[in-house]
Amino acid sequence: MEEVKIGVYVCHCGLNIAGTVDVEEVAKYAATLPSVVVSRDYRYMCSDPGQDLIKNDIKEYVLNRVVVASCSPRMHEPTFRNACQEGGLNPYLYEHANIREHCSWVHDDKKINTEKTKDLVRAAVKRVYHHEPLEVKEAPVNPNVLVVGGGIAGIQAALDIANGEKRVYLVEREPSIGGHMIQLDRTFPTLDCSECILTPKMADVGHHPFIELLAYSEVEEVSGSIGQFKVKVRKKARHIDESKCVGCGICEEKCPWKVPSAFEMGLAMRKAIYIPFAQAIPNLVTVDPDLCVYIQSNGKKCGACIKFCEAKAITPETLLNQTDQIIELEVGSIIVATGYDQFDPSVIPQYGYGKYDNVLTGLQFERMTCAAGPTGGKVLLKDGREPESVAIIHCVGSRDQNYHEYCSRVCCMYGLKYAHLIKEFTKADVYEFYIDMRCFGEGYEEFYKRLSEEGANFIRGKVAKVTDQAVTEEEKGKLIVVAEDTLLGRLIRVPADMVILCAALEARADADKVASLFTLNRRADGFFLERHVKLDPVATPTDGVFIAGCCEGPRDIPDTVAQASAAAAKALSLISKGKITLESAIASVDETRCIGCGRCEEICTFHAPKVISKNGVMVSEVNETLCKGCGACAVVCSTGAMLIRHYKPEQILSQVAALTEVL
Amino acid sequence: MEVLSPYKEATEVIIEAGGEPLRLCYQCGICTGTCPWNLVRGFIVRRIIHEAQLGATDFGNEEVWLCATCRACVQRCPRGVEIIDVMRAMRRAVVSLGIGIVPDALRISAKNIAGAGNPLGEAPEKRGDWAKDLGLKKFSPGTEILYFPCCVPAYDPDVKVVSRATATILSELGVDFGILGSEERCCGEAIRKAGYEDTFHSLAQSNINAFSSNDVKTVVVSSPHCYHTFKNEYPELGGEFQVIHITQYLAQLIDQGRLKFSKEINKRVIYSDPCYLGRHNGIYDEPRRVLQSISGLELIEFPDPREDSLCCGGGGGRIWMETVKGERFSDIRVEQALEKGADIIAVACPYCFLNYRDSVLTMDKAEVIEVKDVSELVAEAM
Amino acid sequence: MAEFEPQIIAFTCNWCTYAAADLAGTSRIHYPANVRIVRVMCSGMVNPMYVFKAFESGADGVIVAGCNYTDCHYIDGPVKCDAMFARLKKMVHVLGLEEERLRREMISTSEGVIFARVVEEMVEQLKKLGPSPFKIKMETLA
Repeated sequence: MEEVKIGVYVCHCGLNIAGTVDVEEVAKYAATLPSVVVSRDYRYMCSDPGQDLIKNDIKEYVLNRVVVASCSPRMHEPTFRNACQEGGLNPYLYEHANIREHCSWVHDDKKINTEKTKDLVRAAVKRVYHHEPLEVKEAPVNPNVLVVGGGIAGIQAALDIANGEKRVYLVEREPSIGGHMIQLDRTFPTLDCSECILTPKMADVGHHPFIELLAYSEVEEVSGSIGQFKVKVRKKARHIDESKCVGCGICEEKCPWKVPSAFEMGLAMRKAIYIPFAQAIPNLVTVDPDLCVYIQSNGKKCGACIKFCEAKAITPETLLNQTDQIIELEVGSIIVATGYDQFDPSVIPQYGYGKYDNVLTGLQFERMTCAAGPTGGKVLLKDGREPESVAIIHCVGSRDQNYHEYCSRVCCMYGLKYAHLIKEFTKADVYEFYIDMRCFGEGYEEFYKRLSEEGANFIRGKVAKVTDQAVTEEEKGKLIVVAEDTLLGRLIRVPADMVILCAALEARADADKVASLFTLNRRADGFFLERHVKLDPVATPTDGVFIAGCCEGPRDIPDTVAQASAAAAKALSLISKGKITLESAIASVDETRCIGCGRCEEICTFHAPKVISKNGVMVSEVNETLCKGCGACAVVCSTGAMLIRHYKPEQILSQVAALTEVL
Repeated sequence: MEVLSPYKEATEVIIEAGGEPLRLCYQCGICTGTCPWNLVRGFIVRRIIHEAQLGATDFGNEEVWLCATCRACVQRCPRGVEIIDVMRAMRRAVVSLGIGIVPDALRISAKNIAGAGNPLGEAPEKRGDWAKDLGLKKFSPGTEILYFPCCVPAYDPDVKVVSRATATILSELGVDFGILGSEERCCGEAIRKAGYEDTFHSLAQSNINAFSSNDVKTVVVSSPHCYHTFKNEYPELGGEFQVIHITQYLAQLIDQGRLKFSKEINKRVIYSDPCYLGRHNGIYDEPRRVLQSISGLELIEFPDPREDSLCCGGGGGRIWMETVKGERFSDIRVEQALEKGADIIAVACPYCFLNYRDSVLTMDKAEVIEVKDVSELVAEAM
Repeated sequence: MAEFEPQIIAFTCNWCTYAAADLAGTSRIHYPANVRIVRVMCSGMVNPMYVFKAFESGADGVIVAGCNYTDCHYIDGPVKCDAMFARLKKMVHVLGLEEERLRREMISTSEGVIFARVVEEMVEQLKKLGPSPFKIKMETLA
């Protein structure tokens, strides 16, 4: 074996490391370690001159191993592997010591930090000694993209990719695409109507030659990895013949069975056979099998829809025998845009949601002001009167550690929009109860000023309760909103006819399931985690899976659209490159040791190892395109035949031993 | 115009006395809107916290002593500010540094507690007198349960009914229990909230010593204030024992089939959640279950029951301080009970007992409504 | 005599707990310097042999930490890690080590604070337990 020659580079990272670690001493110490032929400290190793140091030393000192001690390898390991490669060294002959995130930033005693840094560098040196060159392999990228979620984020991402003439499968679980945005009446701060700006995009999706829309469908299973995902989608039975339905709606008109409409936030009823809203895409009816009496009675009762459907799209056969279909797709990348749920304010007892008729959520009010909505665009109390006074409560479930600690970002603005709409539609007084007004976007602060001009009242204070217990004549028959006006330092009681709760945006109730389906991580607040909060906001820790819109956290429409386009660009750039680098640090079998027991085959989630007969001997063989390098097989291997490249026992054991070595 | 400049030293005094949580406050004011004082007078809790943040606290102001530590605000606070800790810290600063004025009534009670181990200034050796004719045994190692009535039920001639009823129930059911009599001291919960930290520590130490020398494993208490400090504060000082509130214990006895009722109580009873049983310790159901087990008894609820229950005004040392007529929460509570048509206000806390009884008397309603402890009702129905 | 400073080896998975430790760093959440992290790709990759090596080399405590069940990059690595850990727990007894010297944690990417807290707790616990019996044996042998 050729003599091992190691170069060690200790980064100052300005003062980020050098401020609490004596980097020069560490570099001097590293020089004393066996096989280290050069050891340096440098201000910024990631800079071009820093990387040049490595490249030059590889030539000058004939280095065949490199260690850099700097920030997290999750940040710059690729940078230095690249530098090694450019210097003519296999990138796997490199080892990284994390002395910033795991040391200089988290402990403050310089002496202790310097000692810990020495330990980390020593361990890296001992480990790199055992590293081996690994072959870097590539694989092609399937140019199809799966977009999950047909709200504004999914629609935008799908259109951007499809306009680049790449195939998109858009999966939406509801009968129609449109998401929450299609429920909104107008959009702040310009007040353009949500339907008017969204429906053209929805229609584009509906007839785009490069988009295959799978509405009323859900992803059931995902396997494979970047470049070659395999996806199973359950297309739920609508119990109609989709090829014949023209969406005329006569069946809906004739159907006698009703439940509260989820689209109308319970303010109106929908039928057992229904189109959720007029502009639905696809424009098809859907049968709710739990509500349909024909289905429930196994064809003995009702059947009105069958009788009236001129297109013969509804038949006893479709109603009784149609089943879900499983569709299998192959895609190279996935964009998850599954949106948010509105926080349920009934868990805050003191605000009376669910107790008092005229306490509404934001989305209920959106439906109310919408011309096509349940009240025909009128702001009305439950008893049909117009309100004389309306209170809008901000931060309901947001900025409150009893519910969600984060700010939901859009509520201040939609609260202002409601004030405007109330002023436009009624003569009512409006009171906005806020903690801080957060109007940060383009035209937002100006909109706040506009509402001041329009006469909205602003009360700074978090509402303590909404009650119907009047103490004065004026309060009788009203809801009384109680808060401290914190600017006056006085308790205030505002009698109101209607109270609108600006409810938080929260992670979908089934976000955990979606996360495990696509191997996403979730933050403590429940939303999906981006790869880097600032510099990689649409990628996720899983290569080839991107996120966009409110599934990543509350955001407004402009931010959602920008993010959706960003995710589309990521998918397109992957397609454009056409290939990906495969993981090299995967399992391999030492056939001289393998006894063919099959434990590896048993434990592997990805079906990578298989016991086969080779020259009459049973041995395990690893399918390298399936192996992800998780290492479970090596743990259960009783003979030590199964090895994970780059994570071989001698590599890890030497690192572990070096970390605790008593000097 | 008077200009304020931040006075860091004052903030530090409060923080050192345990007011650390004040830093978290973002001034939304939900505490003010939730605080029961604002039903009867202005008490801007938020401003007090902000003044403390900037060192602008007026230690001489009577507001330092208002908080009844009912926890309504803490329960709602969106930032998790332990407002009670801040209020207590300001009081500690006054008591220990003498930078303000301690109300006379409180000062006298504090002196009595420190000297005699009870706020009334009664002789310590008479602490067990309430049980004189009941033939109770003194607790000794091996006894299963210690009954700890604490000061008010031990000394107050009107509230002795509570301790006596409790002891009677336990004796009749054959529970193996004893009392500590003159070895017992005030639990110290309220005096601690009033800012007398040292007094609390010496009381706690004395009780812990008495418990451990007698090998006490389980304590049944009448007062939610004892319950709170035994459960949440004594363990830090080395007091490791199980504590059960009498209403919990009675519920257990009913579940086990040991406690059965033979008499009916045909009354409308309204139950008032004590702050230290409910909001402080989450015990809402057991007292209701006990009352509901009594046949004939119709249990009704206040307009704001359970988590939203209105404080009687007696916590945090307020029980010893004068609250002027017109500002007593207990008066509101009695009115609410009357409106609901209750015959009896059932309580599970000696402070509630004292305050409601006073309200009923001063409001001249003694003929239409009674105040009774849950244990009294149970004893009557047995 | 200087206070006993325990040495802890933490095996952390690349995707969750290693990233959580990174987050503790970027958020400047301070915790005791007694821990040394070994990055593995998955908590299910940790071989009992690695843990023994750590003790044998003088570690006073070992943490094995990775993703939660729901966010594993390899789908079910934590389940495999649990199975390994259960075996490991039985084995440490045989070696005469206290169970408390071994800790299994699931710390997800966003939980930098929890990572720091776990280290703090472990250091405190090990200070109570004192040096590992292995280490003492090694020292007497030397």
